[in-house]
Amino acid sequence: MTDIDVTLDERRIKSEILSSSMDEKRIYRSRIQKFKKSHLHYVILLTAIALLQFIAIAFFTRGFLLTRHVLNDSTPPFNSTNTPYEAQFNKAVILIVDALRFDFVIPVEPEKANPYYHNNFPVLYDHFVQSNSGITDGSSILLKFIADPPTTTLQRLKGLTTGSLPTFIDAGSNFNGDVIQEDNLIKQFYENGKEVLFVGDDTWDALFHPFLSNNSDPYESLNVWDLDTVDNGVINFFNKNLINKSEDSFEWNIMVGHMLGVDHVGHKYGPNHFTMKDKQMQVKSFIDDIINALDDDTLLVVMGDHGMDHTGNHGGDSIDELESTLFMYSKRQNAFNSSIDLTNYNISDNGKSYKQVNQVDLVPTLSYLLGTPIPFNNLGWPIEEIFTSDIEKRSMMRATLHQLNTYKETMGIDLEDGFEFDGSKDHTVEQILNKAFLYGDFPLAEKYQKKFLEICKTLWARFDYHSIATGVTLMTISTVLLIAVSKVVPSIVIDQMVPEFTPWICIMTLVSVACFHGIYYVYHQPPFLNSIIWSTLFGAAIGIIIGCCIPIFDRYSLGWIIIRFFQDSVSDYWTCVGTLFVLIHSLLFTSNSFTIWEDKIVSYLLSTFGMLTFYEFVFLPKRQSTTPLLTAKINENEGTTSGVSSSVANSNSLPLSRFARLLGGYHSLVLLLCTRLASMITICREEQGEYCTPTFLNSTNYSNWCMFLCFLIIFFIPICIKGYYNLTSSYQAAAPIWIDIFLKGILFMNFIYWGLTTTENTVSTLKYDFTIVKFTIARVIAGFTLVAVNIGWLMGPLCIKLNVHNTDVKSHQATILGYTNIYGSEYFLLVINVLMAVILFNKPLAQVSIFLMCNQLLSILEIVDLLKLKENIIGPVVLGLLSYQQFFSTGHQATIPSVQWDVGFILTDTITFPFTHIAIVLNTFGPQILVALSVALLTLWKQPPDVLKPQTLLGRIVSNSCVLILYHTILCLSSFIWVTHFRRHLMVWKIFCPRFLFAALSLIVTQVVVTFGTVAFASGRLIRHINDIFWK
Amino acid sequence: MSKKNKNVKKRVTFSDDTTISSHPTHKKKDSNYDRPPVYVRKTLTTVPFHLLGLLYYYVKISNNYETLMLLLTLIPMQIAYLVFQFNRSTIYGNKRLKVNIPLLFITAGGSVLLSVPAMIIIILFGAPFVEHLFQTWLLALHASFLAYPALYSVFNCDFKVGLWKKYFIAIMIGGWLSCVVIPLDWDRDWQVWPIPVVIGTYLGAFVGYSVAAYI
Repeated sequence: MTDIDVTLDERRIKSEILSSSMDEKRIYRSRIQKFKKSHLHYVILLTAIALLQFIAIAFFTRGFLLTRHVLNDSTPPFNSTNTPYEAQFNKAVILIVDALRFDFVIPVEPEKANPYYHNNFPVLYDHFVQSNSGITDGSSILLKFIADPPTTTLQRLKGLTTGSLPTFIDAGSNFNGDVIQEDNLIKQFYENGKEVLFVGDDTWDALFHPFLSNNSDPYESLNVWDLDTVDNGVINFFNKNLINKSEDSFEWNIMVGHMLGVDHVGHKYGPNHFTMKDKQMQVKSFIDDIINALDDDTLLVVMGDHGMDHTGNHGGDSIDELESTLFMYSKRQNAFNSSIDLTNYNISDNGKSYKQVNQVDLVPTLSYLLGTPIPFNNLGWPIEEIFTSDIEKRSMMRATLHQLNTYKETMGIDLEDGFEFDGSKDHTVEQILNKAFLYGDFPLAEKYQKKFLEICKTLWARFDYHSIATGVTLMTISTVLLIAVSKVVPSIVIDQMVPEFTPWICIMTLVSVACFHGIYYVYHQPPFLNSIIWSTLFGAAIGIIIGCCIPIFDRYSLGWIIIRFFQDSVSDYWTCVGTLFVLIHSLLFTSNSFTIWEDKIVSYLLSTFGMLTFYEFVFLPKRQSTTPLLTAKINENEGTTSGVSSSVANSNSLPLSRFARLLGGYHSLVLLLCTRLASMITICREEQGEYCTPTFLNSTNYSNWCMFLCFLIIFFIPICIKGYYNLTSSYQAAAPIWIDIFLKGILFMNFIYWGLTTTENTVSTLKYDFTIVKFTIARVIAGFTLVAVNIGWLMGPLCIKLNVHNTDVKSHQATILGYTNIYGSEYFLLVINVLMAVILFNKPLAQVSIFLMCNQLLSILEIVDLLKLKENIIGPVVLGLLSYQQFFSTGHQATIPSVQWDVGFILTDTITFPFTHIAIVLNTFGPQILVALSVALLTLWKQPPDVLKPQTLLGRIVSNSCVLILYHTILCLSSFIWVTHFRRHLMVWKIFCPRFLFAALSLIVTQVVVTFGTVAFASGRLIRHINDIFWK
Repeated sequence: MSKKNKNVKKRVTFSDDTTISSHPTHKKKDSNYDRPPVYVRKTLTTVPFHLLGLLYYYVKISNNYETLMLLLTLIPMQIAYLVFQFNRSTIYGNKRLKVNIPLLFITAGGSVLLSVPAMIIIILFGAPFVEHLFQTWLLALHASFLAYPALYSVFNCDFKVGLWKKYFIAIMIGGWLSCVVIPLDWDRDWQVWPIPVVIGTYLGAFVGYSVAAYI
């Protein structure tokens, strides 16, 4: 801490050296007052634009991700006149094994089998074969069970019990399921007097609470790192109430167990891990016990709710995620169809052509077996194998057709269009229904149900075009506003205009909200403004737009702005390159192939930038000092405050010295190499298929060589940052404390944390429980990096040193080391704070990638400085590209299953707001956050303190920040437009929709960080602090 | 892994490097105004029609896009193009230069050497690092030999790199643009690495040699 004292000393000495008169102090104070005011106005302007964009995103999302219309009707209970079928079983045991993929339960040829997850769990198939070939008593059915996407547990439970199709937007509410409103199996059981006893995943408790027995025993479900609590709870509960029945046992008709072990092993380690084998063996012996304890009147159902992909995650719609298992068993002889021919159930090739049923089919099937009415919203069809006679089959068929028809009428679904059977379109629905009803034509009725299901699926993908159009329009306008504010209107004018924006925006927003409320109440509301909230939002958006436009159009005409924009975007070489990058990136969404390969394309573009700068440095074309836009020209001339002539202020302009060229070439090479190395880390998308080899796997993340790399980066990150600091002799005072003590210490603790995690993952016979130690380390790091060091940064850690050559302190002869980079070096300490936090929440291989990012970032800053591109759009654009490239190389893809949910449990073992959310945001958007903070460095890096006025500096930071936001906005807008264009595309839910969600989220994150972090918090504080010391 | 690898480029950079190291004084020569001027005549003679013929052979006639075979055909044709077309259009000090036979072979060796930095650049742009190394090298050789006439002229005309670099750049831009087709899911057999980029560099070279004199 002695260094801080030194800093304070220096400050005093400095103020003595620069001691000045009262007049100057007054001028200084008024200037700072002005700066504070204009800073506040800038923040308000950025916040208003951010709000406008959030409203645009809200409208578009509402229009695109429609929720299904849910009917709350329910099927009335059977009465004496209407009892289409009788219960086959009085009791049932339903065991759900989460993520039980179909190939886990069938025999796989030894040469193709994986030792960890194949052939460990043969119990279901053995029973199926034995009971159907007469070897043992009892009856059983084993089927492939096809889930409907999205394959998240909450959606699947809804589908499995209501027989309906949950829509995409429901996927987001996995974390807080509310009590289900629709008619469902559990409700029907409850209303028909059956006691449903439940144990396991507490999602059930959230969904079905009113219908479950009070003796149920739910367990916390979302802690994916806990493999055993839920499973042991289920096993003990079953032991107590089923297997070893005693007087203490609860009464039940239906016993439901939901085991999570297999799913959690998948999330934590992936299927290819020894833990999977242990877990499967455990479930197997558990099922053996259950089967032994069953009586003749009890039905056993074992099923999975979804599968898992090769990384062990789920949520999407790949075959591996959709294929699950359904197994039904009874000790009674011939409880199901007795003539099952095993040759129709082909297990070769991982059961590729095995007979399959839809998950919704479970609903009528269980209704039939347990004698309860079919839930009102059901779309499924009873499984053929359960019927022992044709009479039963027909009566059940009629009951299901009747239910489907009631549902159809209530929903008002029209089936006439394109309804085609047996090659002819002449059949009306009525004819078909009559035929099926009268003759009991089961296959025809089943075809009808399939068609009905298909039509429902397309119906629920209907979009609200008014909201979509509103969203796109608002986003387009916000793009135009951003362009105007950031580049087209000279920043010197913006500086004068900024105070005008605030009152106009406030007034116009109020007026416009009032107007739209009037419209809402007085007239018939337009269809997309059907609630008070949406009309308020729309009114606010219109108000912000008008408020921003008034000051701009007060001075400029639309024509001038458009001409100016096109002139600017091709005004010089580097602007062209920047525009080209943005265009290419935004056009990637025009094709699914480009979107799939976005990770490679983004690093290709970044490499292109590296090559172009390398060429620039090596060949030094006779290009004039790359003319910045008009904004910069004015500022260059007017911005000097210290009497330094503008020619001196820009003295190190092009052409570059030989040393600068060498340095620039070196930085370009560093950028190129780091980009190429980082691009080798990838978690491949499923669609990339054979052309991509995943390297970001649990097995590599927790391997010894990866931990070794993590150990190395403890030293290499500080060394590299130190190297960049030393270029301007800025490694002084606060810098060693931050970089050599804080950063290194945190990296070391982080290494211990991930080392422990690795040990847990790789050593199967671990005697110690590291949970407490890990939580402690993680919380210390998080608290330190997210709170403590940021408060430390507020104190103003200067990275300069007064180098007094003679001993006389009163002498006016002194050199200040680190003077040229005084802004940048201090600001980068803040970036280091965030870097430390981001590293904790990233997996080991991603930490290596972030180490490379550090070098890329600083090299880009050096290149931008050397080429005098500080005002050019290429700077923010390349930083934007860097954030995307790093997003992909930290083990992410723009898909739902690739979100690393498990890092959510680094700080807490349950889902706790905000800790889980912070962890996931820092993991997923880490690079975006780092870049959003660093964008100010484009202006501040190597910016000496006395050249530019504080306002000018702030204006330039805002201008660069706006370009970065603009880049994200254009991507977001492009994804809006193309996802709408491809709304009927086969791949829309798999490729385009997740990409649009990602674009919207990264725009939101960037907006928030830029507005509140970069501009409001950091820049204002930093500029005032430096000017406190170096004002003249 | 075979197709789908963004990448590519030929960089004139490295040829400059060699010249810097072997002729550290070349900058002085650049500013030496009494040196005779060098330029390429604006004539149809410089249009490398043989490249189109080679492409036709590559795409339509050869089976399976024999990249190696194409290279072996390219080398003599490039030498012939240089001797009979390109060199005759190059004016150095108001006169055509005689063909310097030893330099022809030295330049051929230079092209082979140039393929190493070219390959490094291609890999930096994202070409597969371990797999398909030979294919990548073939691509680099193609690019280097497409630049052969320009490289010869660099050696032959006092290392005025500035005049000749546009030929290298044209080849690079051709390769850079051709990467567009690699990620597309058309499943064509010509999307296999490095075929699209080979074709791209040929087209780039064709355009470059045809129009560079006018720029």
